[in-house]
Amino acid sequence: MKRFNKYAIYEVMAPLVGFAASMALLMLIVVIVGENPGNAVDAIWKMTFATSTRTATVLSTSVPLFLAGLAVAFAFRANIFNIGVEGQYFIGGLVGAMAGIYVPLPAFLHIPFVVIAAMIGGALWAAIPAALKVSRGIHEVITTIMFNNIALALVNYLVNGPMSGLGATGSLEPQTRHILPTALFGNIDWMFRAVGWNVPDSVYLDYSLPVAVLVGLLVWFILFRLRIGFDVRAVGTSTDVSLYAGIKVAKVQLGAFLFSGALAGLVGLQEIFAVRGYYTFQIASGLGFDGIAIALIGRNSPVGVAFAALLFAFLRQAGYGLQFFTKVPNSVISVITGLMILIIVVSNELVSRYIKALRKKEAM
Amino acid sequence: MHWGTLFDYICKGLDTSAPLAFAALGGVFSEKSGVVNIALEGGMLFSAFSIVWGSIIFHSLWLGLLFAVVIGMAFAAIHAVVTITYKVNQIISGVALNILAEGIARFLSQNIFGQETQSAMNPYSFPSYRGMNVFSLVVIPVAILSWFVLNKTVFGLRLRSVGENPEAADTLGINVTLMRYSGVLISGAMCGLSAAVLYPSRWVSGMTGGRGFIALAAMIFGRWSPIGAVLASLLFGYADAARISFASSIQIPSQFVQMFPYVLAVVVLAGVVGRSRAPAADGIPYEKGED
Repeated sequence: MKRFNKYAIYEVMAPLVGFAASMALLMLIVVIVGENPGNAVDAIWKMTFATSTRTATVLSTSVPLFLAGLAVAFAFRANIFNIGVEGQYFIGGLVGAMAGIYVPLPAFLHIPFVVIAAMIGGALWAAIPAALKVSRGIHEVITTIMFNNIALALVNYLVNGPMSGLGATGSLEPQTRHILPTALFGNIDWMFRAVGWNVPDSVYLDYSLPVAVLVGLLVWFILFRLRIGFDVRAVGTSTDVSLYAGIKVAKVQLGAFLFSGALAGLVGLQEIFAVRGYYTFQIASGLGFDGIAIALIGRNSPVGVAFAALLFAFLRQAGYGLQFFTKVPNSVISVITGLMILIIVVSNELVSRYIKALRKKEAM
Repeated sequence: MHWGTLFDYICKGLDTSAPLAFAALGGVFSEKSGVVNIALEGGMLFSAFSIVWGSIIFHSLWLGLLFAVVIGMAFAAIHAVVTITYKVNQIISGVALNILAEGIARFLSQNIFGQETQSAMNPYSFPSYRGMNVFSLVVIPVAILSWFVLNKTVFGLRLRSVGENPEAADTLGINVTLMRYSGVLISGAMCGLSAAVLYPSRWVSGMTGGRGFIALAAMIFGRWSPIGAVLASLLFGYADAARISFASSIQIPSQFVQMFPYVLAVVVLAGVVGRSRAPAADGIPYEKGED
């Protein structure tokens, strides 16, 4: 155990080195573009950690990223590559919004109800690819990509057609009717104040944050404290060994795929229930693909995914800061994000080679 | 329906199929050598930017195309170094490269053309015949050549052997690393070719619209064979062209017409194709024998 700790230091080093190197590259690009690096750092600081309001924004930006990463990670744990988080959160959000628009309930029931509805919606959208995967061995990458495209067309149809709320809301942008006030995700400042932390009024965090924390804990508990989680991890490590050990691989993969879809269903809730208050097919897209990168950087563990999501949220806000206060374009952040992922994974590899070499030396 | 309309449809379908087919062929080479390349999307996007950029710099479409192919290969080379030399997870590298491609193209566009989301107009383009970029036809010889190279040459045999059983190939003296680099670099060159059909007259951010992923699907659908991949691309391309050509004359909501190619793909896969098998060592980094 002691030896493990000694090497753990090196393992934590890899992401830090990756982050530092990519920040250095960012500064290099800033200089090339002809901006003062001091200004750039200042701009990033102003938009991220200068005030508690900004920090809360980073935290709140990380919520959908965390949920998307968690959804991808859970599937990866069972050796399933769920590229379909994208479509699953569009449908999950739609089903959640339907529960929020058409089902009147008292507030204390309504929020849990829409959360569960969104999870069911996401799981349903994963169901056909999951069934095709386990029953006919059809590669989930192909089916989930197809289902992403089908989902986009479907929500586009529903929002423009049967679920259109144009007359009711007076907006020109295609959208549904407004969600009932009882289902909206309000400000959670009262929770902080209840524990004696007097946050300023300008800090805005909504219910999606506690939902994400609870879901993160739930995933951790399932993966590392329940028998089913053990099965999932066993299947992810080796399907052959799992079969040999009597684990019902098909059932485990089906369950993991559906649960991944359920988690994906939550990704859009913040934007729909806290920001917009209605549903539209124009909610932020691409989070499913961010989720893949976040899951892999976070090494498919709930804690790792949380850190990776915070990192992505920080970068996103940093990009806005650069765009707002300097002449560095926002696109720099995509360049840096891509490079950072590559540097982190390459240094992970180099570190594990180094540890291997050290172990060999010690063994001799 | 007039024969003329049908003929237009045949041409239009080839135009929408060709970028998918080039990219899918690239995917076949990469995955046959054992490297999953989900950076096809990024490669296509960056190449599409490069062909516009290169044509304007060199005042020649052919040099622009060459430039796009070189850039496509250089981009794929990053994937090769990271996944083959450093043995990093191939999916994470692909995801990172897709993010990177979008960022670099937008960054360069901002600095070269003064706009982040689109380039300047490209005055050079391949001639168009009934809505079809004539370069689309090049996909036919390229597909036949790919089939020949993979199945009838020593190089092809070696490439496939490192994707199926790298240990055995290594034992026989085949350079696994070299073969895998070749596979990935060819996929980059194919992304460059796809750019020649893809760009209309300028580069626009997000113009690939997930075509790299559809190409990946076509490759799997075509069971990792060059001819199969091209036929699957034609299926997707023609379904897409049907949407464009006939959407106005069909009495159902356009969104359902839009879904059609994807629903078709799932139904065909579920009903007809059955189990498809990837190359055995696809996605697995090769560790040269030690311990």
